[in-house]
Amino acid sequence: MNLTTKRTLGVAAAVALAFGSVVATTAQAAPKSATIAFLSPLTGSEAGLGQDELLGAKTAIYEYNQTNPTVKVSLLTADDQADPSVSPGVALGLAQNASVIGVVGSCCSGATKADFPAFKAGRLTVVSPSATNATLTDPKSPTNGFPFFHRVAATDAFQGPALARYANKGVTAPKDYLIDDASTYGAGLKALTTPSLKSAGVTVVGSDTVIAPASDYSATASKVVASKANVVIYFGYYSDAGKLKKALDLAGYKGAYASGDGTDDDGYITSAGATDAEGTLITSQSVPFELAAPAAVLKDFTAATGLASPAGHAYVTQAYNATNVFLTCIKSGATSRAAIQNCVATGSFTDATGSKFNFTRYGDIAQGAPVGAYLVKGGKIIPVGNA
Amino acid sequence: MINLRDKGAELWEGANRLQRTAFALVAIFAALCLPYAGNFSLTNFLNTPISSYEAVLVYPVGMYILMALGLNIVVGKSGLLDLGYVAFFAIGAYTAAILGTHTHLNTWEILPMGMGFAMLAGVLLGLPTLRLRGDYLAIVTLGFGEIVRILAINTPSIGGPNGIAGVPQPPTVLGQAFDITHPDHFFWLVVIMILAVIWMVRRLSIRRPGRAWEAIRQDEDVALLMGVPILRYKIWSFSIGAAVGGAAGVIFASEQMFVAPQSFNYNVSVLILSCVVFGGMGNIWGVVLGASILSYLPERIRFISNAREFVFGLALVVMMNIRPEGLLPRKKREHLSDEERAALKATRAALTASKKASKKASEKASEKASEKAEKEASK
Amino acid sequence: MNFSVVGSQFFPLLINGLALGFIYVLVSVGYTMVYGVLRLINFANSEIFMLGTFATAIVSTSVFKFNQNSQPSHGMKLFIVLLCCLLASMATSGVVAVFVELIAYRRLRTKGANRLGSLISAIGTSITLSEGVRILTHSIPVASPRVLSKFYVFKIHGVGLRIDQLLTIASGLLLFIAVDRFVTKTRMGKAIRAVSMSEENSKLMGINLNRVISLTFLIGGLVTGAAAFMYMTVYEQTVFNVGFNIGLAAFTAAVLGGIGNLRGAFYGGLALGLAEEYFSALLGSQWKEITVFVVLVLVLLVKPNGLFGEAVQQTRV
Repeated sequence: MNLTTKRTLGVAAAVALAFGSVVATTAQAAPKSATIAFLSPLTGSEAGLGQDELLGAKTAIYEYNQTNPTVKVSLLTADDQADPSVSPGVALGLAQNASVIGVVGSCCSGATKADFPAFKAGRLTVVSPSATNATLTDPKSPTNGFPFFHRVAATDAFQGPALARYANKGVTAPKDYLIDDASTYGAGLKALTTPSLKSAGVTVVGSDTVIAPASDYSATASKVVASKANVVIYFGYYSDAGKLKKALDLAGYKGAYASGDGTDDDGYITSAGATDAEGTLITSQSVPFELAAPAAVLKDFTAATGLASPAGHAYVTQAYNATNVFLTCIKSGATSRAAIQNCVATGSFTDATGSKFNFTRYGDIAQGAPVGAYLVKGGKIIPVGNA
Repeated sequence: MINLRDKGAELWEGANRLQRTAFALVAIFAALCLPYAGNFSLTNFLNTPISSYEAVLVYPVGMYILMALGLNIVVGKSGLLDLGYVAFFAIGAYTAAILGTHTHLNTWEILPMGMGFAMLAGVLLGLPTLRLRGDYLAIVTLGFGEIVRILAINTPSIGGPNGIAGVPQPPTVLGQAFDITHPDHFFWLVVIMILAVIWMVRRLSIRRPGRAWEAIRQDEDVALLMGVPILRYKIWSFSIGAAVGGAAGVIFASEQMFVAPQSFNYNVSVLILSCVVFGGMGNIWGVVLGASILSYLPERIRFISNAREFVFGLALVVMMNIRPEGLLPRKKREHLSDEERAALKATRAALTASKKASKKASEKASEKASEKAEKEASK
Repeated sequence: MNFSVVGSQFFPLLINGLALGFIYVLVSVGYTMVYGVLRLINFANSEIFMLGTFATAIVSTSVFKFNQNSQPSHGMKLFIVLLCCLLASMATSGVVAVFVELIAYRRLRTKGANRLGSLISAIGTSITLSEGVRILTHSIPVASPRVLSKFYVFKIHGVGLRIDQLLTIASGLLLFIAVDRFVTKTRMGKAIRAVSMSEENSKLMGINLNRVISLTFLIGGLVTGAAAFMYMTVYEQTVFNVGFNIGLAAFTAAVLGGIGNLRGAFYGGLALGLAEEYFSALLGSQWKEITVFVVLVLVLLVKPNGLFGEAVQQTRV
């Protein structure tokens, strides 16, 4: 049964008991407006990512409403603090909010997993821009998000092997040292990268876990130097990736340094410093919005967000794509949760670059989002093709 | 500043048994109806924007009241500064998650086990550290709170940083299902647990352990001289507090169906301690009020999303400056009648005459004696 | 257990540990000074440190226009830049510390509130400050460009001492000696010690309590600010919650040495810095906090007042 109806019934019963009168529920008229919720951390330690993604969502909504559609769409921003204990209450609030017909979010795998029961109860469809943990859509996992969870980002099961390949490309007799940040994302990606390294014949000479955020990476750097590794792969976010790179350079490490999409942010360059960041290898499925989107969309971006350029903001493209999934469905006439769910599961969508995509049964992009290879050169993260 | 607590106590003392029972029943009924308050125009200002009001009543509001009551036994009653209370909450939650996903035990069977494990942790931590004084204990408990979280992150067999998903929910009781669509049932459950804890604390307070805790809190040295087995009662206080935290953890895990180390960071400990001190240390009603406000306020002001925590911090500073003893402070001991004053004076004189006791100790002892006198006088 | 790393990297770990240790020493001085006088844990000290790091970052980027692509400077300019950063950092932290005392502690103290009341108001101040900075910086870490080129002062068999580490160790040592001298030798220092022994009696002796307490916070803040500057020279990056880890470590160090005791903070800070480095190398970085905690509990079991602490008077909650 629908959560809202159930609640209303409960209330009606309670009212009847208390006052001896029966309250009738009013039927809803055909909607002229719809609400999409944007669920991401807007405060807390992961707030940077949520704030960046919000820009993409805002741009998509702005563009849609500029076209004067019959159903106006508004964006409800909900802050889950990326905290798995706060998030379910917020998710349940969205599930109970009858005006919300779809959710863009959440950014981070841990909170997303905690939200699943609420979304399942409310039969509310979710499209995440950046929750990449593989178990979220794993058919074998009993706690996956089927059939309500979808994502427009490639899972770490794609990224892990790509990262393993890219990090060791052109290195003779590679000896890898793996460092993760003990986050759901970092530890998960590490676990999905290690088998590919082993099967490619790479020797893993050492491994360390530094709980982020940390200040001092010099002990880890000393260990890397002592292990005589020539490739270091970091699984974590850009800020700590930069600190580690600095410490490695100071300790005299000369080999390759690679990291996943958590590092795909201009913040990495400022964190490591342009000199130390030089030559870092990064894999990511996040396409910079300024490269992906046509000029007209970038103009809308400025109008919607008040920012001159999306450069330096991560996952704007993904958030834009995720929001557009819902907007496409609303345009096609889907204004109820059930219709949205059906439309998202079966429909075909266009991303910022103009290519078509649709979702698999378990919510991943059927076309398999490509994992891009990037290189830090001249103080910029430059795309160099696919990893 | 008027002392609402004393005013309330005065009214309570003046009421007869029937009035008291009636008041308690009405209050409990009102509390049980809270989940529906969001649906009436008169009370729907209580509704939290964005997050689910009923779910907010369970976590954080209900859980925080429960934990604050548990911590109040440790901090408010026996004066032990515990900055890592979240550890016991985490132990309870992980017990529920591990046993719930690996065995066929249901939540009601796990509940006492979660409390047991939390108590055990309390005793194991307490035995070596409760000999420490004041702020040394604070840092050790703070460290313990962080350690439990880091251990959870570092142990892959309990999910590591991923945590454990799919924690089973409690089985149906009296036709009331416990699932995500019924946060109100969870809220009732939490209210019942809160009432049980309040009952327990009130019973303990007027019995031997309560008096021992009070003595330890007021002056450890004097309590020791009076023959109070300090370490034993400290460990009791610590482990009873821990058991309450553990119970909250078990219910938390089965309500959210998911536990992860991120949920158990240091901020939670600080927030619960803030609830206790903000409301009025040592006073159950103050603690309940403080916890309700501090857990509910951030959810209610979610619309100022970005500045929420900032406002929360500011509110703490301002409130503590205005009411340093908390909203509803514990009973003041200074207001004595003339006879009590005379009794106090006599005991003081007698004690200063005694050369054996050190000056400091005698002062504390006279305070103890004055209390005794006060109690006798009130009989 | 990875003993080979500790063997081959013994000296680099030692030097890194000492540099980290001296930062801890100075921050613990902030905790221990306040504790000595008020018998209160200054929970806002981590935010006093955090604001100091931001002062350094702002001065180097906004005043001296350093950015991520600019070259480290040399000679006289380097000296001026470093000095300005240091002074800005110390001034910011010092002023903030005095304000924290005024806002979070003074009123509660004069009202004779219980210690936990002050603790919560300090925690509230701490939340307000870090959240304020988080809102202003949009939660984004702020990197300070490299002002000081990190060359090796000397290097034997691949083991060397970098200039930033030398600077941290030397100035940390100097500053600590200066504070220690101030407290033990000067008239104001005597007043501070008197207040820490007995507030009541020192008041009777004509000591201006409010002034002494403000002074204590000021000194604690100045030293914490210097630590913030050193932190930025060595690690070159800060964020709104940077104070949490550093503050927790420094507080642990203060307790390890015996809180309220300046020399205890010194040995505690160094011991903690070294312990973190060696334990990270030996067991893996994720076990660092746990081992430090176990060491702390063991030390407190043997010496309940810390390594150098005097018996703490009964403190009431």
